[in-house]
Amino acid sequence: MSPEFIRNFSIVAHIDHGKSTLADQLLLRTGAITEREFKEQLLDDLDVERERGITVKARAVAIDYIPDAERWPGLAAHLKCAAKPGKPPTFELNLIDTPGHVDFHYEVSRSLAACEGALLLVDAFQGVQAQTVANAYAAVEAGLEIVPVINKIDLPVTRIDEVLDEIETVIGLDATDALMVSAKQGIGIEEVFEAIITRIPPPQGDPKAPLRALVFDSKYDTFRGVITYVRIMEGTLKKGEKIRFMKGGTVHDALEVGRFRPGMEPCNSLGPGQTGYVITGVKEVVHVHVGDTLTMQGEQAAVALPGYKQPQQMVFCGMYPTDATDFEKLREELERMSLNDASFSFSPETSDALGFGFRCGFLGMLHMEIIQQRLEHEADVGLIQTAPNVTYEIKKQRTGEVLHIDNPVDVPESGDIEEFREPIARVNFILPSSNIGIIMQLCEDRRGTYKATEYLGPDRAQLIYELPLAEIIYDMHDKLKSATRGYGTMDYDIIGFRPADLVKLDIMVKGVKVEALAMIVHRDFAERRGRQLVKRLKKEISKHQFEIALQAAIGTRVIARETISALRKNVTAKCYGGDITRKRKLLAKQKEGKKRMKQFGQVEIPQKAFLSVLEAGNEE
Amino acid sequence: MTDPFASPRAAYVHVPFCRHRCGYCDFPLIAGRDDLIGEYLKALELELATVEGRPEIDTLFYGGGTPTHLPPVKLRSLFALLRRTFALAADAEVSVEANPLDLDDQRIAVLVEAGVTRVSLGAQSFDASSLKVLERDHCPEDIADVTARLGRQGLCNRSVDLIFGVPGQSLPQWVQSLDAAVSLGVEHISTYGLTYEKGTSFWKRRDRGGLNPVEEETERAMYAAAMDLLPAAGFEPYELSNFARDQFRCRHNQVYWQGASYFAFGPGAARYVGGIRSTNHRSVTTWLKRVLAGVSAIAESEELTREQRARELVMLGLRQTVGIDVSEFAERTGFPLRELAPAAFDRFIADGLMEEGGGHVRLSREGRFLADTVIAEFL
Ligand SMILES: Nc1nc2c(ncn2[C@@H]2O[C@H](COP(=O)(O)OP(=O)(O)OP(=O)(O)O)[C@@H](O)[C@H]2O)c(=O)[nH]1
Ligand code: SF4
Ligand SMILES: [Mg+2]
Repeated sequence: MSPEFIRNFSIVAHIDHGKSTLADQLLLRTGAITEREFKEQLLDDLDVERERGITVKARAVAIDYIPDAERWPGLAAHLKCAAKPGKPPTFELNLIDTPGHVDFHYEVSRSLAACEGALLLVDAFQGVQAQTVANAYAAVEAGLEIVPVINKIDLPVTRIDEVLDEIETVIGLDATDALMVSAKQGIGIEEVFEAIITRIPPPQGDPKAPLRALVFDSKYDTFRGVITYVRIMEGTLKKGEKIRFMKGGTVHDALEVGRFRPGMEPCNSLGPGQTGYVITGVKEVVHVHVGDTLTMQGEQAAVALPGYKQPQQMVFCGMYPTDATDFEKLREELERMSLNDASFSFSPETSDALGFGFRCGFLGMLHMEIIQQRLEHEADVGLIQTAPNVTYEIKKQRTGEVLHIDNPVDVPESGDIEEFREPIARVNFILPSSNIGIIMQLCEDRRGTYKATEYLGPDRAQLIYELPLAEIIYDMHDKLKSATRGYGTMDYDIIGFRPADLVKLDIMVKGVKVEALAMIVHRDFAERRGRQLVKRLKKEISKHQFEIALQAAIGTRVIARETISALRKNVTAKCYGGDITRKRKLLAKQKEGKKRMKQFGQVEIPQKAFLSVLEAGNEE
Repeated sequence: MTDPFASPRAAYVHVPFCRHRCGYCDFPLIAGRDDLIGEYLKALELELATVEGRPEIDTLFYGGGTPTHLPPVKLRSLFALLRRTFALAADAEVSVEANPLDLDDQRIAVLVEAGVTRVSLGAQSFDASSLKVLERDHCPEDIADVTARLGRQGLCNRSVDLIFGVPGQSLPQWVQSLDAAVSLGVEHISTYGLTYEKGTSFWKRRDRGGLNPVEEETERAMYAAAMDLLPAAGFEPYELSNFARDQFRCRHNQVYWQGASYFAFGPGAARYVGGIRSTNHRSVTTWLKRVLAGVSAIAESEELTREQRARELVMLGLRQTVGIDVSEFAERTGFPLRELAPAAFDRFIADGLMEEGGGHVRLSREGRFLADTVIAEFL
C-alpha cells in the first residue's frame, strides 16, 4: 500500500470524554466489525477495563475506509497526494485508542510517537479538562496534526461555544474547524473520516530504504510468546526475514507479520507508515524494549529512532503471598504481569513480619489497584498488600550518601539522617471558579505551595499548586471530585525532590512491631495519623482470647494507643432442624477468613488491615 | 456406633406456619397464610410418598414454624400422614414443637391420641419485657398453665426453650427465667443465646442502631449462669445448649449429633440419607410449587468425602458434653482426631479450651464459651 493512502492517528482526551466510543463508531462504519460482533467500548477487552468502563491500555487497530463516491471529487481537491484518483481509493487508517487517566499518560505519549495526527476529543458539556490539556500538549510536542472534536453534542445541555473558546485560550489551538460529533449516536462520523484523510498528513518513508520500525508496545501471549507492536517508519518488514532489535542487539526470525483488525490478522509485509505486529518466537519480554528500533539484520545503515523516556514508578507497596508456599507462584504471576506492562516493576524483599514477598512499583494508585485486581482475578494466589507509599530520598549524615527509599522499613535511625526529601508534584486543577477557595484550603492543609490562578472563562479557572506527591496520590482526586461536585479535574507532573520534616511512624501490635504497617509521615501530622490508624486497626482485627494493645510510635515514643478486649463468648445455638450443613458452612467460612490473615506474635491480622493505613488517612 | 449409610431410623417434619414471624426468626416459614395449610398437607403427602415401604423408625420430630398452629383437624391429618409412611418402634420418641398459647385442651387431646411422647415449648422467657421484645404472643403465666395441663394429660416429657441475650434483658432477669423454668417441674431445658440473622428485622434494627445487643460480658455471664444453675437443679448438660433430667435427653437430636442418618420432609428440611446431606428449598411457596409439580424439592445436596465426614463429626462431637471417644473416632472415620488440625489441637489443649480424659476429648468449661472458635479450626 502506498503511504499516500495511509493515515496514522491517536484518539486522545480527558478520561470519559468518549474516545473508546468514537473508536467503536469508526470500526462499525467501515465494517471492521459487524453489528452482531459489536459491544460497547469494544477495544476495552481487559476484564478490568470492562468492569471499570475505562481504558487502561492503548489499543491499535487498522481499518479500511472508502470515501463516499459523490463527495470524493470535493475531498480529493484537499488531498495532499500526487496522483488524485478519479474513483475513491481505499484508505488504511491506523487508529490507536488511548487511556485518559493520568496514571497511564505514558501510554498516550508512546502512542503519539507512532502517529502523524491526533483527534482531540472534548466533551461538549465538560469542556477542556486537566487531561485534555496534558494530552493536547503531548500531541503538540510530538509534532502531530491535531483535529479538535467536540463530542457528546447530543447531551441535553451543552456549552459548545464556550468549549470552543476554551480550546483556543487554554490549549492555543485553532478551533474554527472543530468537528461536531456524537460518538454515541453516530452523528458527524463521516466528517471525522474526511478530516482524517484531508487534515492528517500521510506518513513519509521510502519502502526501499533499510527497515526502521518503532516498537511502541508489546504483549505476552502464553502460546505464541512475545507479540511486538510496531510502526514502520522506513523500509519494509517482511515475513520470514531476519530482524534485529537495535538496542537489545538480538536477532530473530519474523515468524509472523500482521495487522490488528481488531483481531490479529497475518499478512506478508508491512510498509512505511503501517502499524501492526511481528511475532519472533521470543519468549521473554526482557529482550523486547518498548521504544527500541527494529531493523533488518545486515542492513547497518539504519539509525535508531529516538525512543521513549522510561515511565517513572512513583507508588510502591509490598505484596506477599498469604501462604508462604505460594511465593514462586506469585513470582510467576508478577512476571507475567510485567511482561505485558513495562511500567510495572517488582523485586524480591523480605519482611520479619510477612516473610518473603515483593516490593512492587506503580505509576499511580489506579495502576496499583488494577494490577492487584488482575492478580486476584487471573491468579489464584492469596495476597497481603501493604499500604502504598511514594519514594523518598534520604541524605545520610557524615557520608553524604543518598538513599532511595521505597519502603519505610529502609529508613535509617533518625540520628543518621541529614536530610529527608520527598517528591513534589506540580498540580494543575481545572475547576469552577466558585470552588477555588475550597480547593486552595485543601492544598494548604496538605502542605501545598500556591503558584498561579488563571481564569479560563466567565466561571472556570485553572489553579496551579506544588504539593508533596504523598499528599495527592491517595485521595486528592476523590476530594476534588466531591468538593466540586464532579466538575473539577486535575493532572500532575513530578518536578523533583524537596527536603521536609518527615518521620517514620511505627505500629506495634501486642508489643510486636509490624513493619508492614509502618509509614512515613510529616511530623506535624504524625500524631493524628497514628491515632486514626490504631483506631482503624481496632476495627479490622477481631477479638482474640486475650487482650491486644495497639500502639503507634515514633522511635520509642508512643503517640497513640488502643486496646482490643479479649474474646469472651463465641458459641452459637442449635443446629436447627438438623441443618448441619448450614452450621458447618458457617463455621468453615470463619476459618476460610483466617486463611487471609497473617500471624504476628500471637495475633492474627487480616489482610485488609494492611490497607487500613491508607484508609485511616481518608477519615479526617 | 451409628452408620450414616444405614437406612435412617429417624425422621423430621417441618411445619412452616406461624401466626406472626418473630423479629429474630429466620426459619423457613410463612406467617399469616393459613390458607396454604391444605396445599401444604397435599404436598407433604406427595413428598412422603417417595419413601419406599413403611420403614420402622425410633424417633419422629415435628418442628417448625409451629406445628401446633395447625387447626386440630389439620393436625390430625398431619399425624395420620406420617403414621401411614412410617412404622413406629415400640418405645419410639415422637416430639412436637409447640407455642404455649396454641395448646388448648382440644389440641393436647389430638397430640395424646396421635401418640406424641414429647412436647417442646417455645417458652423463650419468663419476663414479660423480654417476651415483648421477642414479639411473642404469650405471657409468663401461660407457660406454667400449659405445662401443668400437659402433665395432667400424661405428657410427662416436656421441654422448654429459653433465649438469653435479649436486648434489654439483665443478668438477674435471666436467672429468674432459669429459676422459673426449673420450678415448672419440666424434664428438659434448652438455652439459646439470641443471634442476629441476616434478613431478619432484628438484623436491620441492630444495623440502624434501633436494637442494642447485650454486652458480650453479660452474655457470657448468662451462659455461665445456665451452666451453673441447671445442673444444680438436676438438669445435666448433654450438649452446649441442652440440659435434661435422667432419661429425658432428646433422642432425636442425638441422632443428628452422632452423625447418623435421618429422613426429612417439608420446606427447608435437611436430611442425611445414604451419606448425602441434602436440603429442601427454604421458600414455602417454592417448595409447594415444586412438590405439587412433581419436581424434586431439593435445593442443595452434597455427598461428603470421608474427610468431610470426619471433620463434621468433630463439630458435632465437641458440642456434646461427653466429647469425642478418641479411639472410636479413629476407627469410625479413619482419621486420628488430632491429625485433623494438629497445631490447633495442641494449642487448645495447652490453653485449656479442650481437655483429654477417659479416652475422650471434650471442650473444657472455658472452651464451651468459645466453642465456635475451637470447632472452626477443625473444619
Ligand atoms: N451522551 C453521550 N455519551 C457519550 C458519547 N460518547 C461517549 N459517551 C459516554 O461517555 C462514557 C465514556 O465513554 P468512553 O468511550 O468509555 O470514554 P473514554 O474517553 O474512552 O474513557 P477512558 O478510556 O476511561 O479515558 C460512556 O458512558 C459513553 O457511553 C456521546 O457522544 N454522547
Ligand atoms: S414462633 Fe418460632 S418459628 Fe414461629 S416465627 Fe416465632 S420464633 Fe419463628
Ligand atoms: Mg477508553
